[in-house]
Amino acid sequence: MSDRLTRIGAPILLLVVLAAAGLVPSGLDIADPGSKAVDELRIVLAELDDGAAVLVGFDPDVGTYAEIRPTVRMLLAELAGRGIDVSIVSLTPDGRALALAERQRAERLAPDAQEIVDLGFIPGAEAALVALGGAIAGTSELASPGGASLEATDLIIVVGGNDLGPRSWVEQVQPRIDAIPVIAVTPISLLPEVEPYRQSGQLAAVIATPRDGAAYRLVADPGPFAALGDADGGPPALAIVVGLLAAIGWLGETVVRRIGPSLGPRPERDRS
Amino acid sequence: MVGADGLATLVAAIATLVVLGGLLGERRIFGWSQHLFAGLVTGYLALLAITEVIVPRVVAPLVDAPGDRIELWLAAGLVLSAAGAPWLPRLVSAVPISIAVGGLAAFALGGAVIGTILPQLTATLVRSDLDVATTVTTTGAAVVTCLVLIGFLHGAPRGRVVRGAASLGRWLMLGGIGGWLGYLLFSRLVLLVDRVGFLVGDWLGLGR
Repeated sequence: MSDRLTRIGAPILLLVVLAAAGLVPSGLDIADPGSKAVDELRIVLAELDDGAAVLVGFDPDVGTYAEIRPTVRMLLAELAGRGIDVSIVSLTPDGRALALAERQRAERLAPDAQEIVDLGFIPGAEAALVALGGAIAGTSELASPGGASLEATDLIIVVGGNDLGPRSWVEQVQPRIDAIPVIAVTPISLLPEVEPYRQSGQLAAVIATPRDGAAYRLVADPGPFAALGDADGGPPALAIVVGLLAAIGWLGETVVRRIGPSLGPRPERDRS
Repeated sequence: MVGADGLATLVAAIATLVVLGGLLGERRIFGWSQHLFAGLVTGYLALLAITEVIVPRVVAPLVDAPGDRIELWLAAGLVLSAAGAPWLPRLVSAVPISIAVGGLAAFALGGAVIGTILPQLTATLVRSDLDVATTVTTTGAAVVTCLVLIGFLHGAPRGRVVRGAASLGRWLMLGGIGGWLGYLLFSRLVLLVDRVGFLVGDWLGLGR
């Protein structure tokens, strides 16, 4: 009875506490005000002329998109506010579904904004990226459903996930293009993978942690398209803290249960 | 009257509750939801393949100009020979598989060398224009990389030094994997908080 109560009661308690933590104003602020990542992103965006062309490689996965969704929306809102031409392309099925959802949301919430050009889904993973790189460099044509020319691209934004992320873009596209900066917005699980590229300068800017994302949303200027930006869409800091404490508690309990008995005094051998 | 958005929210809320019900041991409805999800994903992938790949990229060009697209006829033949592998001689069905594997390896390896290994090696080289902290960091990264690579030596004759380096490399790799799992846990935690927030805010309308 007690085991069953614990097995069912503990998850319910966790969900209730997480829900309450999201509703209670905690005063905790997840944003990092001195974020170097945000400074680097602001520099790259500031160098864009109004009316520049930005290509968004949109390939997040549904398992991690919740983490970067508010930041991606704010980035799209800021680009729309500056009248920048945005084209969106996906190379994974997950990314295509999420790209269509975001595009439809943008059309619904900001009908006056410049329409996001849909380059569609391009199959072939790495081979597709090579073709994209050639199209941006002007050495080959891209047979995309959107049919738009990519030669005028001024900036590439990679919205990455666990399937086809910034690493693939850096490996397959960047060697084929000249001096077009590539920036990335990724979930924190990709941070170890993308950080070396940021340090080497292959990625001009990376937003890969919720703290950096929240800091960017604080300073971003979506202009007339604030509704598109979803500035308050990030996870509540208190709920994250509660969840982390629960995870640590569960880990500790598991360790004690599995290792604890082996650390206790050994039973004496029966010498009889 | 529930609009389309309201209906979508209701369906999403029910699906979320069913999945969260799996946490509480409710396996039957959770299992049905997994079947539903698998079916929806299969349907979506088929739709995506037909509407965005097969029809516009293969069928339409072949119908428009059948004589001009030799490469598409060739590719279609390779696809058919791969699909008919159980009934064809192994030599015939091996051709498309070999091309697929070879192409994949060529793109991945070529990109890794040009896009990652060479630029990262350049970035980690000790240069006079770097400050001390950066030099220490990049040198440390290079040392860790070498130790982890040595950790993959299995079965080769090794001396005491190499054996120690390989052991250290394996521990470093385990530490790296542990750190990455921590990041992954954080990502999944954000997803859980997001779903709970969806139920409370978008569905129940609390705190909005």
